[in-house]
Amino acid sequence: MAENLAIYTVVHQPRRLKLPAQPIPQGAKLQDIERCLFDEKLNEHYFHKVATYCYYPATEMFLDLVKQGFKLSIGFSESFLKQAQAWDKQLLAIFQELVKHPNVELVCVEPYHSFLPLFDLRMFQRRMAWARDNLEKVFGKRPSVTDTTEMLMSDGIYYALRNSAFSGALLDGREWVLGWRDPTHLYHQGKDLMLLARHYQLSDDVGYRFSNRGWWGYPLLADAYAHWIRETSGEFVFLAWDYETFGEHHSRETGIFDFMRCLPGELAKRKVTMLTPSEVIANYKEQSFYLPLPVYPCTWAGEGGMEFFLGNAVQQAMFQLMLHAYNKALLSKNRKLIDLALWLTQSDNLHLIQWFGHSGSEAEVSAYFTPDEWWQLGSSSIVWEMQQVYKNFIRAIDAYL
Amino acid sequence: MRRRSITADNTIFVLLSFEGPDRYSLAGGLGVRVTNLSQTLAQLGFPTHFFFVGDPRQQGEGVSNGGKLVLHRWCQWISQYYPEGVYQGENEKLYDFNESVPWFVNEHIVKPAVAKDKLVVILGEEWHTTEAMCRISDLLYGNNLRDKVVMFWNANNTFSFHRINWGRLAYTATITTVSRYMKHIMWGMGLNPLVIPNGIPKPLLGRVDENAVARLKKSLDADLILSKVARWDPDKRWNMAVEATARLKARGIKTMLLARGGIEPHGEEVMHNARSLGLNVKETRAKGNSLEDYFQAIEGNGMADILNLKFHCPQEFLRIIYHASDAVLANSRHEPFGIVGLEAMAAGGIAFTGGTGEDYAIPFHNSIVLETSDPKEIEVYMMYLEECPEEKEKIRRAARQTARQFTWEEVIGNLIQKLEYQARIQGLLATPRGNPVSDPSPSEFDNVAPNREAVLVGSA
Repeated sequence: MAENLAIYTVVHQPRRLKLPAQPIPQGAKLQDIERCLFDEKLNEHYFHKVATYCYYPATEMFLDLVKQGFKLSIGFSESFLKQAQAWDKQLLAIFQELVKHPNVELVCVEPYHSFLPLFDLRMFQRRMAWARDNLEKVFGKRPSVTDTTEMLMSDGIYYALRNSAFSGALLDGREWVLGWRDPTHLYHQGKDLMLLARHYQLSDDVGYRFSNRGWWGYPLLADAYAHWIRETSGEFVFLAWDYETFGEHHSRETGIFDFMRCLPGELAKRKVTMLTPSEVIANYKEQSFYLPLPVYPCTWAGEGGMEFFLGNAVQQAMFQLMLHAYNKALLSKNRKLIDLALWLTQSDNLHLIQWFGHSGSEAEVSAYFTPDEWWQLGSSSIVWEMQQVYKNFIRAIDAYL
Repeated sequence: MRRRSITADNTIFVLLSFEGPDRYSLAGGLGVRVTNLSQTLAQLGFPTHFFFVGDPRQQGEGVSNGGKLVLHRWCQWISQYYPEGVYQGENEKLYDFNESVPWFVNEHIVKPAVAKDKLVVILGEEWHTTEAMCRISDLLYGNNLRDKVVMFWNANNTFSFHRINWGRLAYTATITTVSRYMKHIMWGMGLNPLVIPNGIPKPLLGRVDENAVARLKKSLDADLILSKVARWDPDKRWNMAVEATARLKARGIKTMLLARGGIEPHGEEVMHNARSLGLNVKETRAKGNSLEDYFQAIEGNGMADILNLKFHCPQEFLRIIYHASDAVLANSRHEPFGIVGLEAMAAGGIAFTGGTGEDYAIPFHNSIVLETSDPKEIEVYMMYLEECPEEKEKIRRAARQTARQFTWEEVIGNLIQKLEYQARIQGLLATPRGNPVSDPSPSEFDNVAPNREAVLVGSA
């Protein structure tokens, strides 16, 4: 039975596109191109909203918990950090205080939360190296374990990260990836880079189902959850959530904060020890197991495959536009244009149109992430206008070729 | 109820238009209209904020008329990429205009004005401003301010009517137009706009320099002088004018048509047609921007039947042309208002207006109203006027009298009457006697014309 528990959360805010798409003037300067692509007013609005309901109360909670011995690993997208630096430096300072605590491990993530690892592994390596340096600058800790985007992992991504000298990486412990194996052991695909597999059922009990009154496990209490963790076979349980789970996906009224505050005590009662990912690696590296990673990337989103992001025709069309924009920007050799193209490869832009042509719980999750302000356009126009943003950008590059 | 009428002390005007007073922003009649409207409002003492797509090289905000008129040059960051004028990069500018003007008007004009117990009147011009008008209304509604503001949107033409969400616009603003002709067109669309005519600046009523007129006539050395100022557009019936010139020439009358068109390609067709009719077409350009330059450009072209003026003609010069002409051919087949005809009348010219029936034109009293597209009609009336010189003088006098009723001061008087009516409906002005009638339906004129009757229905 699992005697150890590692917890990871990732803090991210998307850089939302400006809809309806703003036409870009011919020959526009780079900063004018940028202002036409992204809706910073909307982004600021959502940032403050999430900060109020989640970031402040959740960070206050985790600060209390880590001081009492709770261990946490945490990743920050550059997308979030830029917004925090622009709109709420006080919040950033509170996060810095949290990360500074010895019980907190800083985890690297793909900076723009982009799909770069799907199509340019060399650039992905460079961006991860940049993210690691940048996180060290912001938080004073150098990450050695890394996440990617939406916990993407594949054979190719593994080697890209291994060559970047990370000691560990994360993946979602889906059956189609692990096969007969349990997610409660440490894995590798060539000893240098260890893999922690997220226990997706236990993670989703909190991440997705906690406030679902129709779920058989509702209401989930800390003692039951600690019990489930302790009763899981294996060496450790690795749980991972969006940071926004606390107060945003599940509001304060659901009891999510009370639940988390009670959890350490219930874990202690059951002699479950909390570890950071690096401690897991240190403890279990020598007895880690070989895991052949799939060529097709796995993710923690949806059912664990790329169909969550590329499962419908409009997502596929948008992905093609991402690739076109990125490759055309590379042709320009203009660093700022390439940077803008990278922003446009942000995974959220595919995540939030998963609902197109779908229904059911996954579509509901996807629709939840689509800004309320966009729905007045109608579903077809949302998709059309999003694609128009990419097309406008692709045309705007002409002036730089 | 504190206010009984709209006055310069209690009301602030906001004017939205793509075109404006900058050279960059002037493309046609709209720019002239809104420039004169805004200036006259300011001269009458009304604080006026004018939003338009301004010259990117000028200050973003300019103040004139003793601080009464504030020019808000909008979309300048886009205009810097489009040096050719207001309509280059139109879609890019439109997006920016719609995005930013409503918020600015709400935050920086309406809120402070209402806090000072002022009434705000927002006037939108042409299809470009419809979305902004709707968004302003929505924002005001969200801020509980909509009933403090009177909003009129005006159609000067039928351009891009297909791009307008009429249901939304009619719900959020009172729709107006510039002529009964336009009103009838819009009736056909289920709309019932108010008619508020276009205007002319008062200085256009001044006497025309007779010496300059004589000089122009002498330099043209023609028996008959016709003139036409319009875009090269089939709606303007340029070919009718050209063919009438050819018919008069065929009678053995030395006729000169002074043609001032635009940059549209239809001009080439018109000139080709003229040459094929045996007319001698000459183009002329001015070396500078003075009256002397314009005269020099015209002199020495006496052999031409059509003189194509390829230079900007300011009102000062146009008035000389109008007065010197035996006929100013404002003979469009579709003329929403017909400002050229009115300007010609103000200069004491004889306007030949088109068959759509300009509101100001009374046949044989102040103008000649053409009923067909047949050039013979122009020819016959020209002969009639040549035979009856006393008629010509009578028409010239009556034309100037009529034009006096269409100065901006007069037109604004009309506009304010209609604004006051709407303001009373909204409970912003006290009714002269008794209490305002309350009614829970939307506080707008009824913009819909189900039975094609211009019934004004309103409520508080």
